[in-house]
Amino acid sequence: MKIALIFLVLIAMVVLGLPFSVAGDSSLTGAVQSFISYGLATTGLLLGMLTIFMSRSVSDELTGRQIFLLVSKPIPRWEYVVGKWLGITLLNASFLVCAGATVYGMVHYIKRTHPPIDPQFDAAELNNEVLVARHAGKAHLPDFTEDAEVEFQKNLEEGRYADQPKFDAKIEKKRLAQKYEAKWRVVGPGDSRIFEFENILCDRSPTNTIQLRYKAEISQYPPDEIYRSAWLFGDRYKGTPVHQVARRDMQGRYHTIRVPADAVAADHTLLVRFYNYNPYQAEVSWPNVIEFRASDPVEVLFTVGTFEGNLFRLLVIMLCKLGFLAAVAVLTVTVFSFPVACLTSFTVYALAGVRSFLLESLDLASVNNAGIFSSVKEFVVQSLMLIFRGIYWVVPDFGRYDAVEDLVNGRNVSLVWVLQAITELALLKTVIILGLAILFFHRREVAEVSV
Amino acid sequence: MSDQAIPVVQTAGLCKTFRDFWRRPRVEAVKDLNLEIRPGEIFGLLGPNGSGKTTTIKMLLGLLYPTRGRISVFGQAPTDVSVKARIGFLPEESYLYRFLVAHETLDFYGRLFRLPSRIRRDRSDRLLDMVGLQHEARRRVGEYSKGMARRIGLAQALINDPEFLILDEPTSGLDPIGARQIKDVIRSLGRKGKTILLSSHILADVEDVCDRVTILYGGQQRAAGDIAELLQQRDVTQITTPSLTEETIEQVRDLIRRLEKKDIVGVSHPRVKLEDFFLRIVEEAQAANVRTHGARKGGEIPDFLGKPTDVAGEVVATLVEAARKFEPIAPNEPPRRDKAPSREVIESLLGLQQSATRPEAAAGSTVDEQSRRPSRAQVQPQPEQRRERAAADRNVIDALLGESDKKANGKMNAEADEKSGSS
Repeated sequence: MKIALIFLVLIAMVVLGLPFSVAGDSSLTGAVQSFISYGLATTGLLLGMLTIFMSRSVSDELTGRQIFLLVSKPIPRWEYVVGKWLGITLLNASFLVCAGATVYGMVHYIKRTHPPIDPQFDAAELNNEVLVARHAGKAHLPDFTEDAEVEFQKNLEEGRYADQPKFDAKIEKKRLAQKYEAKWRVVGPGDSRIFEFENILCDRSPTNTIQLRYKAEISQYPPDEIYRSAWLFGDRYKGTPVHQVARRDMQGRYHTIRVPADAVAADHTLLVRFYNYNPYQAEVSWPNVIEFRASDPVEVLFTVGTFEGNLFRLLVIMLCKLGFLAAVAVLTVTVFSFPVACLTSFTVYALAGVRSFLLESLDLASVNNAGIFSSVKEFVVQSLMLIFRGIYWVVPDFGRYDAVEDLVNGRNVSLVWVLQAITELALLKTVIILGLAILFFHRREVAEVSV
Repeated sequence: MSDQAIPVVQTAGLCKTFRDFWRRPRVEAVKDLNLEIRPGEIFGLLGPNGSGKTTTIKMLLGLLYPTRGRISVFGQAPTDVSVKARIGFLPEESYLYRFLVAHETLDFYGRLFRLPSRIRRDRSDRLLDMVGLQHEARRRVGEYSKGMARRIGLAQALINDPEFLILDEPTSGLDPIGARQIKDVIRSLGRKGKTILLSSHILADVEDVCDRVTILYGGQQRAAGDIAELLQQRDVTQITTPSLTEETIEQVRDLIRRLEKKDIVGVSHPRVKLEDFFLRIVEEAQAANVRTHGARKGGEIPDFLGKPTDVAGEVVATLVEAARKFEPIAPNEPPRRDKAPSREVIESLLGLQQSATRPEAAAGSTVDEQSRRPSRAQVQPQPEQRRERAAADRNVIDALLGESDKKANGKMNAEADEKSGSS
């Protein structure tokens, strides 16, 4: 119990102390984002450690032999294992509730006490960018497969692939489609581009607003690194008003434009036109090629929920992760001594954090080294791959369930995401691990040599 | 097969071999053990350190699994949860949670038996009183002395009113008062029909309380049987009388020489046991109210022990007790009917109609110590003894039934006459 109290104090120190120590980017939004990000990440890490250490109670009962009196009572062994897991998980849940409430309270404390640069703007930016749950609609790209097919047929007729013995038509068509898409993403001087969005399920009243978030790169940098452009929101053919916005934007940075939500059509589509020309006639502008890269998608953000709801869903996802970790800790401690169990659990925790990265590197290793290694080495590599693929299957990808960034950016932590976490982490993998723990503990002799 | 007929514990060819990390056999803790513990007996498991006593107990509790052989408790596998509900276990050392106080400890173990909270509270109070720890009930168990820990350990073993009590070295670490109290408790529980397995290497304890024993050595059974039979010295006769003069002793010596052609081996004044002397001194100190922070004199055995395990019944009994405070709506007692006991029924129960008593009953009545339970392996009474006993039993029945018996017999005869007349 002392260890739980120590961790509670640590979490309290982190959550209560961070607002006074994190610098952020001096803006109110930056300070709140830094606090939420560091606060929740540290809380998650500390609770992960606490989960592993709390499994010590099983180890203590085995070494201290209190287990003799428990197992000799009418308590099925599965109940003991599940009880231990439930105890750790409930402790985590209570700590998460405390941490969540403290984070929420401290966010409002920072909002009230942070030295303002522009009081009205700061508060509005915080409310619109962070303390909100927004859904992001991605732009619907045109279909380039037809263009790719035409060019492919033309190249084929011209015999351009005749000198390629390992030629794959599918890969080539994909490459051509990517080429057309890249071309589409580049907007030349005086040119325009249309972005179509679907399923913008927001309140369409003119008092409500939606946000367009984008980032662009330019071909040649003016001295101030600013490019000028114009955006039109709305579709006259669908009876919506059209809102014009003239912009001076810094290249390579994300920008947000807020426009009335009545630009969204009744069928929940939104038409956005981008014009690469200088709407500020009095200002000199360099003719530039503007590129919207695939890695920085143009998005329309609209409010679907509250920050409070978002925080709650994030805590549920965190609890699912901790529940899985608790099952791993209980499993390892029923099989190994506490130091070994502790090390194993920490390894699984770390693997879950870098799972996607690990798999990528392993895949690359297997492809690149296939022809270089000798057969023995290849065998070793393939064996390792097999082991890691087994681990890959059992260990979940915690990175996939990292919702802190979304919360910090005011993105909606969707219910579907939460349900995925519950299904994969809690219902499937936790149950599998707990099942293994029950199996091991059922077969285990809890007493030892005493002659 | 009825529950009474099933041995509480039965093992056949039981073996336990401990293996090392590489699965190589390292220690043969128990070898080919055949054990049978019958309902209602106090069974002693004796042996020096490392003889396999505790290993056997651990297998009975499902803490260890046998390497070979069969083991059953109440006819079930020891791992069966329903079996564990009928067992109380006092381990060789205190394996209780150090951070809990005595009350919390008993409450916790009561919860594991799913006892209702009110019953847990009630039993905790009474058990703490029984083991003499009521005044230390709010202290953490970790602060208890070894003897006090043994006492609270015994209390936790009894919280579920077990049918089968396994006591591993129950008196180790206890002072003579505590040891005597524990032995008294064991004897009382035995009288209340509990089956008790007592493992110890303190031979005096086992001798004092057990009906039957098994002696283990090197994991093997070396001797087994009724304790009275095993310890009886058939070639020596001891006569105990009040103090005799030298002349009388000489006369007795002459008489024995003349009649038996043997000499007296020794004549002495017997000493009291040190245990009895010690306890007398302590009782005198207690009577003088000398202050102590240790364990005190234990109370009576709680009456819930020994009754059939019926939690619902206890709840009903408590409700009835509570309801007595109020005025009854209907009369408490129904009108008495003249229902006399039947001589035939009593005689048939006692086996007098066949003019033979059951061996158990006969053996039970010959045991002189009130505390010792009747043994099932006693020698069958001689025909002369049987006749005497049957006559004695008839006298007792006559005295008990008295006039009512005569009345009832008369009534029954009249009814029989009436029936025969009408037919």
